[in-house]
Amino acid sequence: MVEIRWHSRAGQGAVTGAKGLGDVVARTGKEVQAFALYGSAKRGAAMRAYNRIDDKPIINHEKYMLPDYVLVIDPALAFTDNITENDKPTTKYIITTHLSKDELVAQIPELQDKKERVFVVDAIGISLDTIGRSMPNTPILGALMKVSGMYELDFFLDSMKSVLAKFPQKIIDANMEAMTRAYNEVK
Amino acid sequence: MAEKMELKEVEVWDGNYAASQALRQAQVDVVSAYPITPSTPIVENYGAYVANGYVDGEFVMVESEHAAMSGCVGAAAAGGRVATATSSQGFALMVEVLYQASGMRLPIVMTVVNRALASPLNVRGDHGDMYLGRDSGWVQIDAFNAQEAYDLTLCAFKIGEDMRVRLPVMMHQDGFLTSHTAQNVHPLSDDEAYKFVGDYKPYEEMLDFTKPVTYGAQTEEDWHYEHKARQHKALMESKDVIDEVFAEFKKLTGREYKRVESYMMDDAEVAIVALGTTVETARVAAEQLREEGIKAGVVAPRCFRPFPFDEIRDALENTKAIAVLDRSAPMGAMGALFNEVSAALYTTPNRPLVTNFIYGLGGRDFSVEEAKRIFKEQKAHADAGHITTPIQQFSGVRGPKLGFFETKRGN
Amino acid sequence: MSRGVLATEKRGIRELGAEEFVGWDEVTQGVILPSFESELKENVSHIRPEERDYSDFNSYTATVASWRVIKPVYNRDICIDCQNCWVWCPDTSIISRDKQMLGIDYDHCKGCGVCVEVCPTNPKSLLMFGEAEETEDALAKWPEKKKKAK
Repeated sequence: MVEIRWHSRAGQGAVTGAKGLGDVVARTGKEVQAFALYGSAKRGAAMRAYNRIDDKPIINHEKYMLPDYVLVIDPALAFTDNITENDKPTTKYIITTHLSKDELVAQIPELQDKKERVFVVDAIGISLDTIGRSMPNTPILGALMKVSGMYELDFFLDSMKSVLAKFPQKIIDANMEAMTRAYNEVK
Repeated sequence: MAEKMELKEVEVWDGNYAASQALRQAQVDVVSAYPITPSTPIVENYGAYVANGYVDGEFVMVESEHAAMSGCVGAAAAGGRVATATSSQGFALMVEVLYQASGMRLPIVMTVVNRALASPLNVRGDHGDMYLGRDSGWVQIDAFNAQEAYDLTLCAFKIGEDMRVRLPVMMHQDGFLTSHTAQNVHPLSDDEAYKFVGDYKPYEEMLDFTKPVTYGAQTEEDWHYEHKARQHKALMESKDVIDEVFAEFKKLTGREYKRVESYMMDDAEVAIVALGTTVETARVAAEQLREEGIKAGVVAPRCFRPFPFDEIRDALENTKAIAVLDRSAPMGAMGALFNEVSAALYTTPNRPLVTNFIYGLGGRDFSVEEAKRIFKEQKAHADAGHITTPIQQFSGVRGPKLGFFETKRGN
Repeated sequence: MSRGVLATEKRGIRELGAEEFVGWDEVTQGVILPSFESELKENVSHIRPEERDYSDFNSYTATVASWRVIKPVYNRDICIDCQNCWVWCPDTSIISRDKQMLGIDYDHCKGCGVCVEVCPTNPKSLLMFGEAEETEDALAKWPEKKKKAK
């Protein structure tokens, strides 16, 4: 079982990202779960989304998890939200920031003993460059592919194309570029 | 003719989307609805299917949930296949009309996404609304995940519309935990699904001008009681049709449903009885405890109404201690599920020890660890031979321990 | 064919409230009540009431005549067929055909007197009499036209 926790703001696409990831993973014959806790949250409010991935049907519905990956798609949440909650010795963090890893970790005491498990990518900057608006959800998935080695980039991009099929071609292309850049730029 | 939709063998759908796809595949004629969180996407999606030509139906937007259910009653009496969705406060506003629908024997299907009732206002899942409907005369079926929400919504039409039943059916799923959780779902093709549900068969429909009928007559003490007795009998006997429909569904898909689901119960000493997603979470706990040597099992009424007394008794009578979990504020009594299960078990020679846990109100997380703790407490009761705690306890609530009602047996 | 508009076969053949009471196994499903015994072959609005095959669930076959203590009597000689009474009668008990007033449906009239109130002729074409009064006697007692006060 692989467990992923997303830290996001309502409106940044964490739910879409979690479901998109689930969709891709399900195509490879695995069982997935993607859920989020929101409802009356206003756009901009801190929220969390979750993924579970397993080889057998997932029947655990608790919100509580010991995440294998923590995806922080809003730069400020790395400072204000409790991103290391229920941390395991192997939990990997992928954080969107314009800072270097050293600069970021220096400012967040909770991350200091986990530095080798922290990865940074400027998902906001990449999405602004490619998609034209702040939409860090797809680039962070590109970074996750690199860090986790879950799938080859080409396979992942192909799968994401059909997940995004309802969007105009221009948007699909921009997302492909965003994910590729994040894959290559995550450190 | 409505357009067909190409579906993959495995889709990743949340419970809302799954339910809305079932409404589309059943080709519902009329959805009269007033959207409310967390069930909004069900009717929103149906509206989109109508607009995009995937359903030959009507989406009727009304001014309140009371009007939504009234619209359903009108459309069903007129002779159409009718569905809607609601949650919580919306459900509460519908209650008056729920009784009208069942009294008129109209096979409306309502997908209920369970949510807590205010006050305090809360959008998350508990079973307060499901329990509010328990005397309303509807068949109430409960899904524990998105696949089941899809499967059982298709079954709901077939159950309610059967000429031996002709009763409205609620298809319950947990707010957010099912409705907003995307999981692998294996859908049927449009043709397979429609063939399973079948064409709508009208009965004494108002739009049959060769046989004008009155719906909603007034009856006083001289007639009302007989009509209610007949209605109750129809609801009690719907169990046979439910079994038939589940059997037919299994033949088609290989997926088996029972009015009472039992997991690891063959040799179970302790059991949890619950509804909704909790059933699955409790299964994870039971599996882990079996590795520690505790014979734990889980029992779940798939069918909340008609309540499966016989099957609950069969599933539980040989256990030693049972925790019945109610995800609804009990307000001055034991939980409703506890009461039903206790009633079913009272006439057994073994009469297991039964305790009641209130839990998960307003969407409070129910963890595997807590389920394990509850199982272990049952084991302690079983070993002591009597209930060692108050009969009703609150699980997962902050503050001093809260419990009510003490046993008079054995200590 | 029925015996006529003013006395039809099915109208008022049972006392309201004196139904045969049946058990739960015999009541209709969903309290759905059919208006007619047999299937209609044409639009019911094209069939005259006295020719409709009303069922026992329809109030047409019930009578409330016994509720009445005074009754309206109709005087054809004065009536101008204005249809006022037909419009106002709360129990659909004024029988009119092709805009011509024919008389009173005494199976459903409760004797409320509204028809008399709204009758515009001078003297009135409808007047209330005791239930026991014979129609001929009532007509013999009909008042003269009132002169307008100057």
